[in-house]
Amino acid sequence: MIDLVFLAFIGFILLLGVRRPFLWVLLYVYIDILAPQRIGYGIITSVPVSLIAFMAAFGGWLILDRKAGARFTLRQALLAALLLYCWWTTGHADFPDEAATKWDWVWKALLFAIFLPLTLTTRARLEALALMLVLSVATIVIGTGMKTVLGGGGYENLHFYVNDNSGIYESSTLATVAIALIPLIAWFTRHGTIFRPDWRVTAFAVLLIFACLLVPIGTEARTGLVCIAALGLLLVRYVKRRAVFIAGGAALALAALPFLPPSYYERMATITAPGGDESASTRVAVWQWTLDYAAQNPWGGGFDSYRGNSFTYVMPVETGSGASTAVQYREVTDEARAFHSSFFEVLGEQGYPGLAIWLALHALGLWQMERIRSRWRSKDAQPDEREAWIAPLAVALQLASLIYLVGALFQGIAYQPVMLMLIGLQIGLNSYCKRLDSARAKLAQHTPSAQAAQSPQRGAVTA
Amino acid sequence: MIDYLALAIGHGLLVLGLLRLVLRAELDRDPLLEELDQSARTKRMEATRRRGKAARTASAAENADSKAEAR
Repeated sequence: MIDLVFLAFIGFILLLGVRRPFLWVLLYVYIDILAPQRIGYGIITSVPVSLIAFMAAFGGWLILDRKAGARFTLRQALLAALLLYCWWTTGHADFPDEAATKWDWVWKALLFAIFLPLTLTTRARLEALALMLVLSVATIVIGTGMKTVLGGGGYENLHFYVNDNSGIYESSTLATVAIALIPLIAWFTRHGTIFRPDWRVTAFAVLLIFACLLVPIGTEARTGLVCIAALGLLLVRYVKRRAVFIAGGAALALAALPFLPPSYYERMATITAPGGDESASTRVAVWQWTLDYAAQNPWGGGFDSYRGNSFTYVMPVETGSGASTAVQYREVTDEARAFHSSFFEVLGEQGYPGLAIWLALHALGLWQMERIRSRWRSKDAQPDEREAWIAPLAVALQLASLIYLVGALFQGIAYQPVMLMLIGLQIGLNSYCKRLDSARAKLAQHTPSAQAAQSPQRGAVTA
Repeated sequence: MIDYLALAIGHGLLVLGLLRLVLRAELDRDPLLEELDQSARTKRMEATRRRGKAARTASAAENADSKAEAR
């Protein structure tokens, strides 16, 4: 039954796309995030919905769509360089079979991120993509939030639509993405045009933000808590009443403490004392191994190169319960521990050249969003509605990037499709702003005052 | 049950949003950019007309001067 509902929904978007081909791009975004073919268990599993959506998105753009304003930018070139470099390292990988498995989804995510900005030529399209990202993630987050409130949470206990710990359905990844999207959700309460801001939009956004904050609690993902703290700190820069914001945030956090389960406190305690947790304690060892590995393999070892690592260390293990709890120190050997950090993931897999491209891609995005924020920030009491949305969207996308990078410090999500789509959105916004500036410059060129101002200069040069 | 409810909320909003999008011409043509382009085109044509007029006036004045000098 659920399969038929998904197929009907996909068919509905395919039909709407005949009139507006851009909707096929949104269809691919929806399928890539939510993965309905993995939620269903019948006929939908045998239909290549992802391939159909990509062919429709690309073919629709190529044949039917207007391409006015489509630009190939420096960041797309960086994505293309990263794609080519990943292809090269896959051919020389330490573990060819495993590398080929990861390459199989990474190249699609990177290719779509390169293609996506070419389609984002209008304000409505930028907003539509942001809405599709938010609502696709919201579909997962709403369920997660409701289960947490009703007591169904817990580390590795909270069930998603798909429970194979992959993609966005991995608890730490979902927590990072959910927190990263909070500023974008808030943006819709002020500047949305598809759903015009009113009390219903605000109420939904508040509940959705609450659900996003519940994801790290329900999944007990430590990275999520770090992301919430980072978001709180970053928001201090943008709020008008900083003292009220800090006091309110602290009061809210204190008020929430009694409602948190004991297992949550135990898990979060391992952030500052990782010795008792295998996952946390091996991270530093993996990172040190990666630095040594990169020194010997500066060009990278290909995807999943971490499979070559092995560590033996002493770890405290608790036995018994209650008053008879005893702590024993045992020697533990770990093999093929994942990188547990996107920075080390890229370094180990793509070497220093890949890391340089990846860092440049993100640094450039942060800088571009900062530049847009300062260029388009309105100083008027009643700003022009047609441009007032630009600076807040740049802030939301910059915050999303920063939260992602904070989350990426502790998990291997360097090629996470949602974050690559956010990069696509940033590129689209930057190109749109450049086109606005260019159109303004052309207009100014032909105004009488500008011409009068230019005339003597031209005369002076001629003389 | 919760999963079905969450899927229904998410997909309901997606359907509503997509229906609103398909009816919007702004999805394919940005009104602000088109307005700026149109204004620039109009201004360019006006400027060309003004330059032509100025050139004609100047040429007429030059002709009048040369005639006066010839006399």
